[in-house]
Amino acid sequence: MTIPRSRTAAATPVPARRRSGGGASSFRSRVLTPYAMLAPGIVLFLAFMAAPIVYAVYLSFQKTQVTGLGLGSGARKQVFVGFENYVAALADPEFAASIGRVLLYGLVLVPAMLGLALLFALLLDARGTRAAGFSRVAIFLPYAVPAVISSLLWGFLYLPGVSPFYFVFDALGWDAPEILSSDLVLFGIANIALWGGVGFNMIVMYTSLKAVPTEIYEAAKLDGASEVDIALRIKVPIIAPSIVMTSLFSLIATLQVFAEPTTLRPLSNSLSTSWTPLMKVYRDAFTRDDIYSAAATSVVIALATLLLSFLFLRIVQKRAFGQED
Amino acid sequence: MTATATAPVDLPRVAEPRPGKSRGDRGKPNWIATVILLLGALYCLLPVFWVLTASTKDGSELFSTFTFAPSSHLWDNIVELTAYRDGVFWRWMLNTALYAGVGALLSTYVSALSGYVLAKFTFPGKSTVFSVLLMGVLVPGVILAIPQYFLFAQFGLTNTYWSVLLPQIISPYGIYLARIYAAASVPTDVIEAARTEGAGEMRIFSTIATSMMLPGLVTIFLFQFVAIWNNFLLPYIMLGDDGLFPITVGLNGLLNQGATVPALYTLVITGALLSVLPLIAMFLLLQRFWRVDLAAGAVKA
Amino acid sequence: MRKLLRAGTVAVLATTALITSGCSTDAGSGGGSGPVELTYWAWAPNLEKVVDIWNEKNPDIQVTVNKQDGGDPAVTKLLTAIKAGSGAPDLMQAEYQKIPTLVSADALADISDGAADLENHFAEGVWSSVTLGGDALYAVPQDTGPMMFYYREDILNQFGLSVPTTWEEYADVARKLHAADPTKYLGTFSANDAGWFTGLAQQAGASWWSIDGDAWGVEIEGDATTTVADYWGGLVEEGVIDNKPMYTPEWNSALNDGGQVGWLSAVWAPGVLAGNAADTAGLWKAAPMPQWGSEQATGNWGGSSTGVTTQSEHKEEATEFATWLNTDPEAIEALVKTANIYPADQAGADEALTEPPAFFSNQPDFYEVAAGVADTVSPFTYGPNVNVAFSAYNDEFAKAAEARTRTAFTDAVAAMQDITVADLKKSGFTVK
Repeated sequence: MTIPRSRTAAATPVPARRRSGGGASSFRSRVLTPYAMLAPGIVLFLAFMAAPIVYAVYLSFQKTQVTGLGLGSGARKQVFVGFENYVAALADPEFAASIGRVLLYGLVLVPAMLGLALLFALLLDARGTRAAGFSRVAIFLPYAVPAVISSLLWGFLYLPGVSPFYFVFDALGWDAPEILSSDLVLFGIANIALWGGVGFNMIVMYTSLKAVPTEIYEAAKLDGASEVDIALRIKVPIIAPSIVMTSLFSLIATLQVFAEPTTLRPLSNSLSTSWTPLMKVYRDAFTRDDIYSAAATSVVIALATLLLSFLFLRIVQKRAFGQED
Repeated sequence: MTATATAPVDLPRVAEPRPGKSRGDRGKPNWIATVILLLGALYCLLPVFWVLTASTKDGSELFSTFTFAPSSHLWDNIVELTAYRDGVFWRWMLNTALYAGVGALLSTYVSALSGYVLAKFTFPGKSTVFSVLLMGVLVPGVILAIPQYFLFAQFGLTNTYWSVLLPQIISPYGIYLARIYAAASVPTDVIEAARTEGAGEMRIFSTIATSMMLPGLVTIFLFQFVAIWNNFLLPYIMLGDDGLFPITVGLNGLLNQGATVPALYTLVITGALLSVLPLIAMFLLLQRFWRVDLAAGAVKA
Repeated sequence: MRKLLRAGTVAVLATTALITSGCSTDAGSGGGSGPVELTYWAWAPNLEKVVDIWNEKNPDIQVTVNKQDGGDPAVTKLLTAIKAGSGAPDLMQAEYQKIPTLVSADALADISDGAADLENHFAEGVWSSVTLGGDALYAVPQDTGPMMFYYREDILNQFGLSVPTTWEEYADVARKLHAADPTKYLGTFSANDAGWFTGLAQQAGASWWSIDGDAWGVEIEGDATTTVADYWGGLVEEGVIDNKPMYTPEWNSALNDGGQVGWLSAVWAPGVLAGNAADTAGLWKAAPMPQWGSEQATGNWGGSSTGVTTQSEHKEEATEFATWLNTDPEAIEALVKTANIYPADQAGADEALTEPPAFFSNQPDFYEVAAGVADTVSPFTYGPNVNVAFSAYNDEFAKAAEARTRTAFTDAVAAMQDITVADLKKSGFTVK
């Protein structure tokens, strides 16, 4: 995140209004006013994020205890079990495998998506590009398609029996790879995410590029630098902060991949019900009706993301808000 | 769901019109760049084009003709979709507009207010409040949905519009963006001047700050709109009455009716097409507004 | 400052206002005056049209159908609502295999008082699955799914193949067909449809759960199921049977173009075939399942019942409605005609099912065949964690189908057994 160039953005913090200087009034304006204005956000956050999280943590230490055959009312009760659910989650090889898959998935997706986004952004910004407006809108368009729908769509395109692509391949007598086979399905899912996300990241980078004054390029041009040189040596370093940020956000998002594999799962034999960590949470909570294990797994995932978030916060606060404090 | 949630980190920056690069002066055509971009556009449009052709096919054609060649049943499909359960599809569309539209509006307001305060006030506990709020970005919805259900059940509010609307007003991500926007676009001396004239803080926020942050707020609105529109799980769990469903949950239901009922693929594909159209229109509209306004803001300064 | 505070507490006020204004659409609270209002979660198509008949006749008890996603999601939602203490409907469409789970979670009320004299309407096996073998009654049976074998008569004739009556013949026909035309399969092994495989195992004589005093028995890894898994593993390994899941767009397409020549399904199959492959009407025929031994047997796939939830405030009225819906001749006729189901009420079925489904107009004796098959459904007991066993089926058999080896199929059965038993033990059930 770079500091805004515009003069309007001179951003020294405002010491909240001081009136006649009475102690009480100063406290009111210094502390009460900002907190009163923050109240809607804080209340909503506490009610709809903090409270559910606390409740999930509470659930993660419980389990159902059944007596007898477990039929009829009162045969089931909730008991405290300490860390049992956590031990089970961490010892579960499926869970470890799902984390491994997601990391590999991130490794495939993030560089590919951001690389393409950067390429497109640079090309949009390059001199002499024709039909740039059309391309920009077209590439951004998939962002409007919800993941559930885009996965269904690509599912159709992946299935050899109904895909127009396989139809073409067949007609040409070529052997097409089966994308939904267990070797390739990870790439198939990454492609769906790439399709939905590349345009968005492109716009982010393109916006940064547009804010760079052209004089910088003109000078380089006089020195005999080519368009490619300018792109690689000047433009990329200038927008590096925004590339770093989009990478971080994308990485965090890949850990949460859920909708695409869940929608594709019934179409093939390659995706298990615990293919990603969140799918496992979903399966435990919604298919197996074991919200306690699901809560424990959730907490583990949240803690892992928290580690990432710590890193993220440090970078963000230093870069984005250095100018305020 | 994954990659679409990334950060428009640099969006708030006020873009200055670049001298010497107006529409008239584009240099000589760069065909390599143009062709690569058009290939990218083709990649992004092909599936959309497929939906277009697929929605013109009837049930048997969908599974027997695999080309991009369109058929003539689009209108029939729309009529059939409209007839399904007395037009519940259009109800889903309205519901979606309500959840995403009203939800995103409220969310934008709350985010703007919080972001403005966090950017423009100094007060004890500020960085703690911000850090805690921001951590919310990292908690996935799947994890929150069940506890949220229990919470709403305490008040007997499950299976209501509120159960889907309220939890999505709070957006840590929106607050984060609003803070950047406020810091970048609302000059401190303007706030000070308004204060000396005796304006109240809420008045300063609602009359001065919001208009300066407007382009950024449009962006927040857009992101929040897409986020709510994309959130499948929350309404899926909260709602039992299909008259309250948003479009994604409704269409998903047409596919998963159990083994004894055929999946209504033609209706789902037609429905997917119809539901994405307004969103695309809004995107195109807002995208233009957002760009123009950013430039206008810079000129004014 | 007051202004500020007011603005600052907008959210709180809004929330409170919403709660107090009581905009809840939760039904079930008929109130002192006016008709009793019941909500009914169901997914059978056009069920609301049958319910309309009731509503017209019973102005005092009005039922609203809330359409659900089939099967699993509705159960999940119901269980969550039960745990939360509110949010459940009055009536619930419940598949037979879900009843022990629902009863175990205290979601279904005992309605034996209001509907006890229904026993003679239903087949013994069906009745025991809604009573769980005891004196209580947890649901009124609605429809059943005795399994049958569907095949493309034209294609079998074209290759000079006869309709298999034993599993040995089925394997033989599958081989010959695939050899004659490699693009065609007699069927597919679907790792996505646990209910389907359960029906196949049931036919072979398996009963996966059992009650022994206060303990549950689990016998997924028994001779019957292992035999079935081994048989299908062999066919998949040979490559003469497809290994792709059913109900995918690809499978639909194969039904249309003759890629799938047969389908081991249940009595409700005509509706699915008509929806997915309308152009093949008149080309299919139904026959009893291929057999393992000399005694005719079949399994059950699908079918459901109508239960009353424990959260209902009008259990009596709900029971009355559930009884009417599933045993009244007018209701059954409407269920058959508009919702396309095969009623569980035996007398009602005979009366209502006089003509074959339109898709099977080439087979006038369709429902006679079906009635014959329905009499041969083997007994089967479901346990309290069918959901766990079924999701284990999805995972383990998906791996097996992908591996395409015989041993992978029998290993999958063993894994299902382990996962199911481990889950029961974890919840504190006594497992024999």
